[in-house]
Amino acid sequence: MLTLQPLLVGPAVFAQLLVLGVLLGSIYAFVSLGLTIIFGVMEVVNVAHGAFTVVGMYVVWLVAARLELSPFLGIPLAAVLLFGIGVLMQRTTLAPLGEEAQGNKFLVTVAFLIIIIALVEMTFTATPRQLSTGFGSWGFADVYVPEGELYALLVAAATSAVVWTFLHRTHTGRAIRGTADNRQNAAYVGIDVRRIDYLTFGLGAALAGLAGALITFVQPFDPYLGNAYLTVAFVVVVLGGLGSIRGAVLGGLLVGMIRVFGAFYLPGSYYNVLILLVFIAVLLVKPTGLFGGPTRA
Amino acid sequence: MPDRSRSLARLQRRAGRLAETLGDWRGRWYATPVLGVGLLVGLVVLPLSLDVPVFGTRLGALVSPNILVVALLWATAAQSWNIVSGFSGQFSFGHAAFFGLGAYVPLVLSREFAVNPWLGMLAGSLLAAVYALCIGGLSFRYDVGGSYFALVTLAFAELLLYLFINVDQLGGASGFVKPFPDAYGAEYGLLAFQFRETVPYYYVALGLLLVVSLVALAIKRSRIGLYLFAIRDDEAAASAVGVPTIRYKLFALVVSAFFTAWAGTLWSMYFVSIRPRVVFGLLVNLDILLPAVVGGLGTIFGPIVGSLLLTVASEVARESVGIPELQDVVYGVVLLLVVLRTPGGVVTWPSRVAEALAIPQRESESEEPRGPPPAATEGPPTQGVDERRAESDGGRGDPAAGDPSEHDG
Repeated sequence: MLTLQPLLVGPAVFAQLLVLGVLLGSIYAFVSLGLTIIFGVMEVVNVAHGAFTVVGMYVVWLVAARLELSPFLGIPLAAVLLFGIGVLMQRTTLAPLGEEAQGNKFLVTVAFLIIIIALVEMTFTATPRQLSTGFGSWGFADVYVPEGELYALLVAAATSAVVWTFLHRTHTGRAIRGTADNRQNAAYVGIDVRRIDYLTFGLGAALAGLAGALITFVQPFDPYLGNAYLTVAFVVVVLGGLGSIRGAVLGGLLVGMIRVFGAFYLPGSYYNVLILLVFIAVLLVKPTGLFGGPTRA
Repeated sequence: MPDRSRSLARLQRRAGRLAETLGDWRGRWYATPVLGVGLLVGLVVLPLSLDVPVFGTRLGALVSPNILVVALLWATAAQSWNIVSGFSGQFSFGHAAFFGLGAYVPLVLSREFAVNPWLGMLAGSLLAAVYALCIGGLSFRYDVGGSYFALVTLAFAELLLYLFINVDQLGGASGFVKPFPDAYGAEYGLLAFQFRETVPYYYVALGLLLVVSLVALAIKRSRIGLYLFAIRDDEAAASAVGVPTIRYKLFALVVSAFFTAWAGTLWSMYFVSIRPRVVFGLLVNLDILLPAVVGGLGTIFGPIVGSLLLTVASEVARESVGIPELQDVVYGVVLLLVVLRTPGGVVTWPSRVAEALAIPQRESESEEPRGPPPAATEGPPTQGVDERRAESDGGRGDPAAGDPSEHDG
């Protein structure tokens, strides 16, 4: 039968859960960032996002386990490689489909998901891998912080800050946000929307690769882990509002909290059921997401 | 040189005539029944002709009875998916929910209460229909459409996945083994839905596929079908002229869920054991929708042709190279090529080939502009609207429809 934890726990346990929730939530938010940026600009639900994270994971694994270099070197490498893959994919398959074929674009990303996962499995086999990082954990007054998660949080926060600055403080970034607001008007004021699309898809893919690289710091991985994170990313971006960066961050933290507290209070993996129930409720009551609105990206 | 160009022109003229004949023939009232019966006869004799030599080897070396059962199984699921997503354009990414209910309910009922699987199949499909009623009722009422509808359906499917993983009474994450027929007081045979050999499963699958295809055809040719395609083409316009769009979308989703569960039951009676991940997982959603998309969205022949093509092509690729993952690569590449090159699906290939050859000749004649190739549709030939369906969709929520070049402007 269900064995439930007592509802009231000591402040130390509560603080511990809160910390773990923030750490996990930041990873969820970061995984969702690229997905939401791509949707904001191009209105494409990119199913290949999960496959991009998997590629990022194995880039780090190659660098750390095969070349025996620092896993941190794999992070920029994953970003650069996936930027290339993203631009190439946009250029060769998505752009030729034209402006309005959203359903077809969805299917193209599905095809890429299938192909990339199969290729990764062919190259690296389906055996679960784990980095031997030797990360420990730090304790602050009864609350312990795992080292790998902390590095992931720091890199994710730093990258998000860079992306935010890029989108808000540079000319190209403003052009991307303008395109997200209104593609047609963006084209009228002289923005090269096709170029913005390449850039956005590359950026989204690079962020997915970065997120995948960070996931290797936190847990063992196999070629199918991307599918699990894809589902999480869907939930997060819809909770936060498709296309909203702020929404992705807050949605990621919310899902991270539900998961950590749900895993503590509920037996088994019922927290997944809880997350999906919250997701469905939000989607039905406010399809534009908790933080989504007329302003995007 | 002039000789060659003249013979080329003659060839093009001939191809043009062929395209016209093909188009005219496809528009006749008896075209669909003749093609359908032809396909049915072909599928009936297929397992009997596995010893026939092809390309210097046996046909059975290319396709095993096992692969054929799997192909028909996904064809049945895709045909059902097509009713809601192909006809009404509501792109579902969560049909694994219905498939999984259809797979689980008969097994659980026969294991716990010794209920015959055929009754279990009925119970499973009714439960799937009720679940669809909940999903559709909520999402259509709140006007959730397009990408959001795909994500809602996915969420409902994942919800069942995690529910079944966590409920130990239903087998939990590791699932359970299919009960033997004597567990529900039956002998191996049609009544027990279990056979000792593969070929009987094939004919059961064919029977289920036939029923679902006929239902889909009946819906498509009825007034309901007309409304559904109107919703797909322009929901606001359909609503404005008085089509109760919510009711018809809901109808399509419920019928679709009911028959998707049949494919699920076939799955669970054919394979030995069941686990939540293999019937409710993310990739099951893809297995269900891909044959319809590859074959031809909104057509009756599409899901069947698409499933045969995908399953057999990927199996041949796997067998000939010996790398299991290659199957998925072939799957993905076929999908990519179809979406990029022939968004109408495989069923439009014959007329497209003839059309492509015939284009220069038509330009030289240029009497009257011909309509698009009618082979993409199976609607009643008397309705001109029907002929234009395949080409006239906007992209909204409607994958693989229309020619992308039309939307470029």
